[in-house]
Amino acid sequence: MSVGAYVVPARERRERLLHQARILRVVAASEFKLKYAESVLGYVWSLIKPLAIFSVLYFVFGRFFRLEVGVEHYPLYLLLGIVLFTYFSDATTLAMHSIVTRGALLRKLAFPRLVIPVSVTATAALTFGVNLLAVSAFVAWNRVVPSAAWLLIVPLLLELYAFVLGVSLILATLFVRFRDIGQVWELGVQLLFYASPIIYPLGFLPPWAKPILVANPFVQVIQDLREIVIGLPERETVAFVYGASTGRLVPIGVALAVLLAGIFVFRREEPWFAERV
Amino acid sequence: MTRPAIAVDGVSKSFRLPHEQHLSLKQRFLHPGRRTTYEEHEALRDVSVVVEEGEFFGIVGSNGSGKSTLLKIVGGIYRADSGTVRVHGALSPFIELGVGFNPDLNARDNIRINGTLLGLTRRELERKFDDIVGFAELERFVDQRLRNYSSGMQLRLAYSIAIQVPFDILLLDEVLAVGDQGFQQKCFGTFDRFRAEGKTVVFVSHDLASVERFCDRALLLANGAAGALDAAADVIAAYRGELPQDASSPGVAERRHEPQPAASASADALREPA
Repeated sequence: MSVGAYVVPARERRERLLHQARILRVVAASEFKLKYAESVLGYVWSLIKPLAIFSVLYFVFGRFFRLEVGVEHYPLYLLLGIVLFTYFSDATTLAMHSIVTRGALLRKLAFPRLVIPVSVTATAALTFGVNLLAVSAFVAWNRVVPSAAWLLIVPLLLELYAFVLGVSLILATLFVRFRDIGQVWELGVQLLFYASPIIYPLGFLPPWAKPILVANPFVQVIQDLREIVIGLPERETVAFVYGASTGRLVPIGVALAVLLAGIFVFRREEPWFAERV
Repeated sequence: MTRPAIAVDGVSKSFRLPHEQHLSLKQRFLHPGRRTTYEEHEALRDVSVVVEEGEFFGIVGSNGSGKSTLLKIVGGIYRADSGTVRVHGALSPFIELGVGFNPDLNARDNIRINGTLLGLTRRELERKFDDIVGFAELERFVDQRLRNYSSGMQLRLAYSIAIQVPFDILLLDEVLAVGDQGFQQKCFGTFDRFRAEGKTVVFVSHDLASVERFCDRALLLANGAAGALDAAADVIAAYRGELPQDASSPGVAERRHEPQPAASASADALREPA
């Protein structure tokens, strides 16, 4: 498709960034407000949901299927997985719809479209942050003592956000063209749940499957977080799965590649969002 | 000679209107080789126009002639297929009855979002908030959700925001469509002020009398092609001259995305030149 040129005087870089930061703030604030408008419990829901899922899965898999026997601090192990999964699934699903639901706005104002999925995923990240507080209550209850290694949690969460944003940008772009992506992703998220060691230990998998699963940055971040917070048997760790130390770079590379691909396709399609949504 | 505020050079824009509403992957899987048939609708064909700084510029034409498309391309909302658009100065767009409000948020939040998107800082927003609400005469309804607003109220609020942000160029698409007499008079008052301040205004309207009254020059669009481009009175005379044939061809593309609120649709119908 050929493209016409649209030339406006370049604004100062600093001014442009400030403008985008302001948009980010107000859109995220409104996102937050809309999500909990007219609900009595409001924000509490984002805590109740993962906790309810946790309770059910804990009794079914932890107690009935005795998964808790082989795993140290199984409740904490499970809760960490669920909270991370809720974040991943909520952020990507909301961001996928974010461009289309704002069609009216897109058709009337020109602004960098990128701020929309960024602010939606940032809102989900904020909710996730609060959910982590609930996890820390479990941490205290399990008498796990923080160590200096916990500082590594920060880069891990950044890596996860990069991956979430990359996936979100790809989904949001595709969703403008194919509404089927909504169904596809609903299924994809469910499959991801069982294709990740959320309820079961990684060690349950056949050796050939482990490197494939751990190449998913989401799985790698879960395992690394668990290793830092509750400790894992050596054969469960990311380092063990890949053996060589450079293998660790595989999931990180995947996360960055997905982010770059996301930015690329989003930026390429962005000029036509207004007429397609 | 000042730099033109807007320079549109050879702009063309086509929309592909699929023959059947087709947004599913299924058909692509079932018929991978076959492509859906589209109707290429040429909304704009090689349109060139220059709007000088400080000018009041009108765009007239029947429904589907490409007025809104041209305005959206100038506003950076649509991307032209070919040609160049140069904009010199800060734009404030008022397009298709509003600035894209979120119906589930109240006026306060909508003002915050749209004002920020248009470039206001938090402090500027605070300072201008009362002016925005005051001009729209919506003080009593600030905490109401926009879904409870009539189309006239939404229009007032949207216009009020569009003119309160600092701008050099104002794009106005059918700003008079659903407002009442009082609000129209108020708009006319602001037009006089913009003229005195040397602002550039691009004014799209079916209200030919207003175009004639306020615009220095005007462009006539017909089926996406530029027609007369001259002093507003002459362009309108030319447009009126060709109206009978034109009025029989219904527009295709204009506002094809948006379900029109009943109130504005009927208001539009009333405003159609007979």
